[in-house]
Amino acid sequence: MPDSINRSSLLKWLVDPVQSTSGVAKRAYRFVGDRRAWLVPMALGVALLAISLLGLWESPDDFFFAYLVGWSFLLTTALGGLFFLVFNHLTRAHWSVVVNRINEALVWAFPLLLLLGLPLLFGMHDLYHWTHAGLYDPGSPQYDEILAGKRAYLNTPFWLVRIGVYFAVWTLISYRLYTLSLRQDVRADPEIPAALRSTSAWGLPLLAVTTAFASYDILMSTDPHWFSTIFGVYFFSGGALGAVATITLVSLLLQRTGGLLQGVITPEHYHDLGKYLFGFVIFWAYIAFSQYMLYWYGGIPEETVWFQHRLQGGWAWHSAALVVFHFLIPFLMLLPQATKRAGTVMAVLSVWLLGMHWFDLHWVVLPVLRESGGFHWLDFTCWLGLTGIFAGGLMYRLSRHPLVPQGHPSLHDSLQFENMQ
Amino acid sequence: METSKKLPTDPSESPPSPAGDGAADPERLVQGNLSFHDITEMVSRHAEKKAPLAWYVAFGVSLSGALLLIGLLAYVVWNGIGVWGNNQPVGWGWPIVNFVFWVGIGHAGTLISAILYLFRQHWRTAINRAAEAMTIFAVICALIWPTFHVGRVWAIYWTLPIPNQMAMWPQFKSPLLWDVFAVSSYFIVSTLFWYVGLVPDLATLRDRAKNFWRQRILAFFSLGWTGSNRHWRNYEKAYLLLAGLATPLVLSVHSVVSFDFAVSVIPGWHTTIFPPYFVAGAIFSGFAMVVTLMVITREIYGLKNLITIDHLEKMNIIILLTGSIVGFAYITEFFMAWYSGVEYEQYAFINRAFGPYAWAYWIMMTCNLITPQLFWSKRLRRSIPVMFALSIVVNIGMWFERFVITITSLHRDFLPSSWGYFTATWVDIGTFVGSFGLFFTLFLLFLRFVPMVAMAEVKGVMPEADPHHYDPEGNGHAEGDGEPYIAPAEPALAEAYRNDETDAPE
Repeated sequence: MPDSINRSSLLKWLVDPVQSTSGVAKRAYRFVGDRRAWLVPMALGVALLAISLLGLWESPDDFFFAYLVGWSFLLTTALGGLFFLVFNHLTRAHWSVVVNRINEALVWAFPLLLLLGLPLLFGMHDLYHWTHAGLYDPGSPQYDEILAGKRAYLNTPFWLVRIGVYFAVWTLISYRLYTLSLRQDVRADPEIPAALRSTSAWGLPLLAVTTAFASYDILMSTDPHWFSTIFGVYFFSGGALGAVATITLVSLLLQRTGGLLQGVITPEHYHDLGKYLFGFVIFWAYIAFSQYMLYWYGGIPEETVWFQHRLQGGWAWHSAALVVFHFLIPFLMLLPQATKRAGTVMAVLSVWLLGMHWFDLHWVVLPVLRESGGFHWLDFTCWLGLTGIFAGGLMYRLSRHPLVPQGHPSLHDSLQFENMQ
Repeated sequence: METSKKLPTDPSESPPSPAGDGAADPERLVQGNLSFHDITEMVSRHAEKKAPLAWYVAFGVSLSGALLLIGLLAYVVWNGIGVWGNNQPVGWGWPIVNFVFWVGIGHAGTLISAILYLFRQHWRTAINRAAEAMTIFAVICALIWPTFHVGRVWAIYWTLPIPNQMAMWPQFKSPLLWDVFAVSSYFIVSTLFWYVGLVPDLATLRDRAKNFWRQRILAFFSLGWTGSNRHWRNYEKAYLLLAGLATPLVLSVHSVVSFDFAVSVIPGWHTTIFPPYFVAGAIFSGFAMVVTLMVITREIYGLKNLITIDHLEKMNIIILLTGSIVGFAYITEFFMAWYSGVEYEQYAFINRAFGPYAWAYWIMMTCNLITPQLFWSKRLRRSIPVMFALSIVVNIGMWFERFVITITSLHRDFLPSSWGYFTATWVDIGTFVGSFGLFFTLFLLFLRFVPMVAMAEVKGVMPEADPHHYDPEGNGHAEGDGEPYIAPAEPALAEAYRNDETDAPE
């Protein structure tokens, strides 16, 4: 039995930074599926992205905007997972230990996401209005005084540096949390739980600051005149919802298709995941409504225009749909105890909420491009293509390691966990 | 009372326990080898015996503060609100600052009793009773300000939607009206929640009462509680429901309070981060107040085995967390003011940092952003003197936060011709001091007459309350105690794969 874990080769590092530790997995926690589990989503994703490239030829604008939405969907979900993991370590949560590995597999996504984000650099000119040089030239008819005042922040070199810093921070935190936990599977070192907590403790403030500024840089600056102080929280709230939905969905998929983790992840754990989904649905609605209501109420033109674009033309339907399908229906569905404990309902709701998280980001970004609303086929192929590759990476990592952190000191408590009925 | 048994009051006083009974276990919430009876005795005796002299001294001081408040409020109503320091640009002065301050203090109580309950944090049991009492008294202190800050307090019932001969209704678009609904429902729900939690403990006091009237009065308030299985089942359901309802309530109440500012168009007020940021600030200041009160209470009433240093450390961690959220919100506001490119917004923040109220701003920044960061050190956050000092510093900082938001945004806004300066009068200071008097009067009455720790709940988190305590491997019945012994019910898988570490690698 190996005592420690070894690093992967450079290319594999992107997908999984350590070599397989499945050799030490106890039989109950061993991944018994085959390569199709990760190969199929990966192949579908690549195929859909290849099809999307035809769209790049036909309509570069639509491609880049669709790609940005799909990529942000994955980025926010991974960040939400990182928050959830950090939170569970800091509060010494016992119930969540059996799903921690799924979350850890989710958060080791940032190097791959950085790579997948590179195509966006070719679309900077389409995506970000502030990259147009004429805005800053007082002699030009395009001169924009407001944007010229923001130039110290909104300029391409500094933007690239910032994105690099964010990814470095996220990668560092997720690398520590992921590899420490895997090391604990191989050889239970009593120092590791404390190391996980201290990483989470210094990681949390860094994560909060970088996530907020990333939301300003990546999404808010698509409409560079508009600003909102709560936007970082809004960005986080959707991602946290997406992360819990992903964890629920992946654990159900593992159980239903491979018969894995039977009796390990029980309705008790789904009940708790359901409570978190419920909580984050409400949190998202609270943040989204606060932002809307305060701008509607104040009616200051430079702020309200953002919502005006989203309440006129075809976008009015999207806004109404967000209220009903992102808040009201999941709220009512997740309210009773029974639905949170029923695997099938939870699977449907997780898929639904992931779809709504994408729809929410689509609603944030696309009105900049299309004033009259509506979808383009690229919106779907880019999103699903990127998600396929991302999901393939996630399943690949799961297939190489024990499916639960088997060396975690609280695993026994987590296995026996029961809700108060 | 002839209670003569000496109860251990301090973990350091108790003799080292024999190995294996877990008393030295840091995970254990109740220290000092206390039995169930010891807990009852330790908590109830303070409500049963005569209060110590210190209590009478403190009560006298607090009551004079409360009387000062009542006198000054009468003075304000009689003479008009012009005796406060408010002026034309600064129409909202100390009264609104104090209102937001007191509402914020109250929120920690609901956080401890409801939100930590939903998160199954057992350490809340020792502090929730006092924290909920603190909520109720802080909300009473808060309600004074919107009531008396109006020019015509006798017409304040017009804010209620009552059918009347004028067929006039309140304006439902005003966040000040939402405040009326938010704070009054918050008060009602907090009181109900507190009272529901009190019922089993009042029954305990009733059963211990030796005097006829004491017994009758407690029998009335404990509602015929017998502690039957059915009672407990309904009680737990009700408690969970109230916790589930109080959680969105507490978040929405302080959000509504933040809307008072954020819906306006004043630079420095109109910003979307206010709802979550005010809530974080409320938890921050409220927890600081709980720490201040608990440090004193556990010392004077000998509750150090129930409210241990681990409890205080956890509260300090929450102070650190919410303090950092508040600090992050300050940075966000500053950044967004610059980023917005709106000159009024930019000026509002420059004025805060370098204008006539820069002193208030820097007090706020020091107390809220810098000093809580000391709690990163484990040694400091477990030190009683440090946490006591810091918890007071936090509340000074949070009072100044509301002062800075309210007054610096008002005294200089769009038109330079309407710039002014606000100076507090002696009535401002007197009423604010008086509100502390009222708060401590009520809190001291609570300490005197009501069990200050939720006895039933603390007993529920003792290891002995776990059915598996006496037989960790079995079903709660030791072999040979007359009950059928049932082998431990392990999950089938954990059992099957328990010893397969030797499995050959793939």
